[in-house]
Amino acid sequence: MTRVLVPLAILEGESVATGLTTLLAPMDVTVLGYHVLPEQTPPDQARLQYEERATDALVDLTAEFETAGGRADHRLVFTHDREQSIDRVAAETGADAYAITGVTGPVDRLLVTLTGDVAVDRLCSFAAELVADRDIGVTLFLATDDEAEGRDVLEAAARTLSERGIDVGIELAGDDPAFESLVEAAVDHDAIVMGEQAPSLRSLVFGEETERVAAESVGPVLVVRRLEEPEDAVERRD
Amino acid sequence: MESGPSAAAGANIEGESPQVEPTVETDDATITDGAELERTLGLTGGLAIGIGTMIGAGIFVFPGLAAGRAGPAAAASFGIGAIVALLVALPTAELATAMPKSGGGYYFISRGLGALAGAVVGLSLWFGLVFATAFYLVGFGYYAVDTLAEVGIAVGNGLVIPLALLFGAGFTVLNATGTENAAKLQNGIVVLLLSILIFFLGYGGLDAVGLIGDPAAPERFAPFGTMPILTTAALVFTSYLGFAQIATVAGEMKDPGRNLPLSIVGSVLIVGVLYVVTIFVATSAFGSDQLAEFGETAMVDVGRHYLGPIGAFAIVFGGLLATMSSANASVLSTSRAIYAVSRDALLPRWASRINLRYGTPHVALGLAGGPILVLVATGRVELLAEVASFLHLIMYGLICVALLALRRDEPEWYEPDFRVPGYPAVPAIGAIASFALIGFMQPVSQLTGIAIMVAAAGWYAYYARDVKLKGAL
Repeated sequence: MTRVLVPLAILEGESVATGLTTLLAPMDVTVLGYHVLPEQTPPDQARLQYEERATDALVDLTAEFETAGGRADHRLVFTHDREQSIDRVAAETGADAYAITGVTGPVDRLLVTLTGDVAVDRLCSFAAELVADRDIGVTLFLATDDEAEGRDVLEAAARTLSERGIDVGIELAGDDPAFESLVEAAVDHDAIVMGEQAPSLRSLVFGEETERVAAESVGPVLVVRRLEEPEDAVERRD
Repeated sequence: MESGPSAAAGANIEGESPQVEPTVETDDATITDGAELERTLGLTGGLAIGIGTMIGAGIFVFPGLAAGRAGPAAAASFGIGAIVALLVALPTAELATAMPKSGGGYYFISRGLGALAGAVVGLSLWFGLVFATAFYLVGFGYYAVDTLAEVGIAVGNGLVIPLALLFGAGFTVLNATGTENAAKLQNGIVVLLLSILIFFLGYGGLDAVGLIGDPAAPERFAPFGTMPILTTAALVFTSYLGFAQIATVAGEMKDPGRNLPLSIVGSVLIVGVLYVVTIFVATSAFGSDQLAEFGETAMVDVGRHYLGPIGAFAIVFGGLLATMSSANASVLSTSRAIYAVSRDALLPRWASRINLRYGTPHVALGLAGGPILVLVATGRVELLAEVASFLHLIMYGLICVALLALRRDEPEWYEPDFRVPGYPAVPAIGAIASFALIGFMQPVSQLTGIAIMVAAAGWYAYYARDVKLKGAL
């Protein structure tokens, strides 16, 4: 079964739009309630004071996912470093994707972007599983300067999805500027599925592309995690 | 000895009990019943806390004072301090890997020796850190005045205390409203400081041994005999307060079994070597009489001697950063010390409340900042330093005793990843050396320290007599 991690700043009242709980119904969901503390506060000190409050909120949220027809559990983390907590819990729960919650109503159409160094097969099978038997359309999006090859990739991917009875559309954009054309394409869609990018200089300067897409498009973004990183990449934060 | 979570018992006068919950420690997180605490500090973070806390006082404030007391042998005083610190650092590292949780020395002592010893150490540590911070801030004041003088604004030493007060209040407010990236800034400061010092010491060291520049006038190594070496060691031991602070963030350190011992022992070694070389260079540049005359900012004149105005400026700037980083790190440690004792019901629970808006422990920071400002106002550098050392040395000695007690009949939960080499000699000598160093302090510092300990014991008897902590993990 595919598992999706839904990280939420639980003590800041962050919540999940009904559209997203419904969309995630076919998946196993782990709601990750986190609270980020400044360096001068020991995480345990915050736990002592706020654990109960946070757990109450998490139980309610988990119930919402179950009401929508999915299976959900929850974890609570007090941390100084949000990214590290999400990465660790995602790895521990074996989550295939994590959600950047956004605002959305019922989801009728997904935008799946295949741009960049991502595993096209994983993204497509994740999207297919997400759609399940529901009446949700998918648009496959790719920005590249090699138009001929891009079209091949898109068409091959579209074929595998339509074989599973999904209403698929494709959209090919020039490479320049890929980010803007993705955001533009997102306007007609209710949620975005994208692959986790390798850390790069660009993401260091501008922030994670997934976060930027989520901020620009306002709607939820489902980020399909990269497969097991090599050991040295895990050590890099040290 | 009892072990396991059931050992914490009793309640304080307000009916609050120690908050001890069963936890599972992994390399990446601490997992309690319903929540996880992320471990986010790496080895560099741990080293930065230790070095950042220690480096300010010793190198930048003491050379003049120490040389005045012990002559060139002040380098030996710093060496003795380093050895004592190392003898305590090893047991601290072992205990920290056995109990990788927040609380540090207080935690080990209360679990190893019981609630009374814990209360005395925990509350004294609060004041010990307050005294240390006040000392760093006064040192900062001297450097701030010198900085102004260096850029051509001579204001005189009358502004030392007002400036120290201003910055003390500033740090408290800054920490209460949340400092983004303070740790990264601290890391940057530590790297910058080390670069300044290593360049300076490299050049000064070559000169001091006579390879470049004019040969220095030879001076008798210990013009005042051995006693001043020891009393000076007691005074300058304040320079080594900080390595145990790493243990207070043990709960936040990744892979604690490896990173805790490395950063605790490593920071003592790095800082100890830097101190000894610095004093050697400083006393080679000037005679110790002249160095003593320069007072708290003697290092600036040493910098000028070797590298002209650039050297003076580099040292002034370094001193400013170093005293600032020490003061800031200590304000934070104080609030953590208060949290540790209030979690165990030795202080009211409200003392460790945090506010949701900034996420900071505002009450504890206030309990740190208030007394610090009062002490800064006294401006008594040597007294502040010695009382801080006194209260820390009591804790260090008891850490060694706690290790001996725990090792003698090892409880089931005691599984440190790092074991002290040379047990039981190292912790035993560590304890004796820590307590012995206290004997060489001025009587007024000893009396102040004893008064604080007695008051802490009195508070325990009045407020939390029924609280039991021995063996409560």
